Amino acid sequence: MDTKSFPNPFALLWRQFKIEWRLYLRDRAAMFWTFAFPLLMLFGFGLIFRSGGPPALTLVRIAPAHETARDQAFLKALREARLNVVTLDAKQAEERWKKGETTAQIEGVGDGYRIHLNSYLLAQGQVVALAASQAFLVAQARVSGAPEPERIPMVVESPGHAHSTNYAAFLVPGLVGLNLLSTGLFAVGMVTVAYREKGKYRRLAVTPLPKWVFLGGQILQRVTSVLLQTSLLLLAAWLGFHITNQGSYLVFTLLVVFGTATFIAMGFALSSFASTVETYGAVSNLAFFPMMLLSGVYFRLDSAPQWLQKAVLILPLSPFLRALRAVYNDGASLSEHVSGLVILAAWAALSFVFAVKRFRWV
Amino acid sequence: MSDLIVVRGLRKQFPNVLAVAGVDLTVSAGEVFGLLGPNGAGKTTTLEMIEGLTRPDAGEISIGGLNWNQNASEIRAMIGVQLQATSLYNKITPREALDLFGGYYPKRRDTDELLRLVQLEDKANAYHVTLSGGQAQRLALALALVNDPEVVFLDEPTAGLDPQGRRSLWEVVRAMKGEGRTVVLTTHYMDEAESLCDRLAILDHGSILRSGTPAELIASLGIPSVVELTFAGAAPDPRSFAARLGSGVEARGDIWEIPTTDPKTLLPRLLATIESEQVEYQQVHVRRATLEDVFLQLTGRSLRE
Repeated sequence: MDTKSFPNPFALLWRQFKIEWRLYLRDRAAMFWTFAFPLLMLFGFGLIFRSGGPPALTLVRIAPAHETARDQAFLKALREARLNVVTLDAKQAEERWKKGETTAQIEGVGDGYRIHLNSYLLAQGQVVALAASQAFLVAQARVSGAPEPERIPMVVESPGHAHSTNYAAFLVPGLVGLNLLSTGLFAVGMVTVAYREKGKYRRLAVTPLPKWVFLGGQILQRVTSVLLQTSLLLLAAWLGFHITNQGSYLVFTLLVVFGTATFIAMGFALSSFASTVETYGAVSNLAFFPMMLLSGVYFRLDSAPQWLQKAVLILPLSPFLRALRAVYNDGASLSEHVSGLVILAAWAALSFVFAVKRFRWV
Repeated sequence: MSDLIVVRGLRKQFPNVLAVAGVDLTVSAGEVFGLLGPNGAGKTTTLEMIEGLTRPDAGEISIGGLNWNQNASEIRAMIGVQLQATSLYNKITPREALDLFGGYYPKRRDTDELLRLVQLEDKANAYHVTLSGGQAQRLALALALVNDPEVVFLDEPTAGLDPQGRRSLWEVVRAMKGEGRTVVLTTHYMDEAESLCDRLAILDHGSILRSGTPAELIASLGIPSVVELTFAGAAPDPRSFAARLGSGVEARGDIWEIPTTDPKTLLPRLLATIESEQVEYQQVHVRRATLEDVFLQLTGRSLRE
């Protein structure tokens, strides 16, 4: 037999890492979901909600038969209150109301006014009604020459007092987390199931390539891909929205690496529960959608019931995003988020044990 | 020739079926050895236990004096394997795949030489998903040779190939033998087994029924020839005809088969009986016995049933 020795496993690991990257770059779907999609979300939502506050609220105003001085003062005050006032005649207003497009509608009744609120959009309607009442007081004072009622000044800022409110700033850590989650569940978990189902692992198993080298190359590629995508997002947030990390980059990176490890282990663990890609699709969506929708990627669950808000804290993405937002948006240290990190660590440990104990090559 | 592969008492139980029920076999260095049997006979399971892919429930396997418990990496370095279905990355090219897999081994063959051998030079830089079934099969074969292996295992290497593809694969197998490699293959094509293999084991229900050279196996039948009568439709019941003829007659599809050691004396008798019984046949045909007849005699079934 040939006396040449087996290749150095670390040289092989480097080769596997390179081929994984090369093939990953050829996979257009992976490229889109990993690199293009988060940037599209950031710029799409970031620009839509650029003004910071919620989008302007619309008040439908039925045109009075004769505009009085008070009507005109009221209209001016409504606009100053940042309400989008649409003046329509009674017939047009009724048509709009019936289509369900009206949140709130104001009309003159006798000496005063009355507001109709759409029962399906009550939360927004009440905000409109309050703003309109305030505007009414201002208008009355102006017409009668009395001093205007005083407004309480408002300051808008993030929980850690660092950023002015900016949806893009909220979104950046959310998209980073979503990327880790989908990398773990899909780029690792689903790929593992597909390789097993198609017999790719069997082909490798008849070669002398150590199995850990194959998995190691795959994991290293995914981790570097996540770090690259995270850097791209941070760069895009800085260039597009002038948002920067308020905390330590070291802490931020450590958190991302910790989260990546957790979700990759979770992908491997979940892959052991399905033998076909179809079944895995169901299993992984069961994990993916609750976290994407409830863990605070795109929005906070403030209006959800208390029990639900508490319950979703059990999901690994929730404490991860809380900690990441605290660092990125508020420059906090991690000491305030120990309990969340403990939950995350528990998920990491559980996933790791499942991944190692249940992993199947065939 | 020395025994390169020695297998003793190999068994494998799957949840619902005893796939391999005690297989013994030896393969000599430099020979082409075939496992012949119908689908589900246990050929693939036997092969995959020898390749180290499936752990046997019982039995011993030795390859070049090495065994899977102690020398797995060394065995993997000296064998080349073509699985029944070889799955690779969709977007890897044949050149990249051969370079990648070649890198796993202490010894490797030149990628261009392998591409030439399996006639894939034109497709060297095409993505794996774009290869035809035959091209993918040839790449799988090249991958099995990437480490210049002493022993090559081929599982149903010609399954799904057109006649031309089968012929060219046979040439590659003969070339491997010419280079001094040992080849172990499975097949359910008797013509393939007969023309390629130096020795064969006939498998059914997880056991070896008989083994030997193709000539030995056919000679063991004791009936060198078979007379076939072909009918236009389904062959009629041959019992009364057989009684008149005084020879065994098997009806199979639209054919009567009459095995004989002496076609010269059978034929005149046969034609006389056909005339007196007024049998309306289409044609009569005398052929040599084949491995198919051996399998039929051993199991009462045809290989393709």
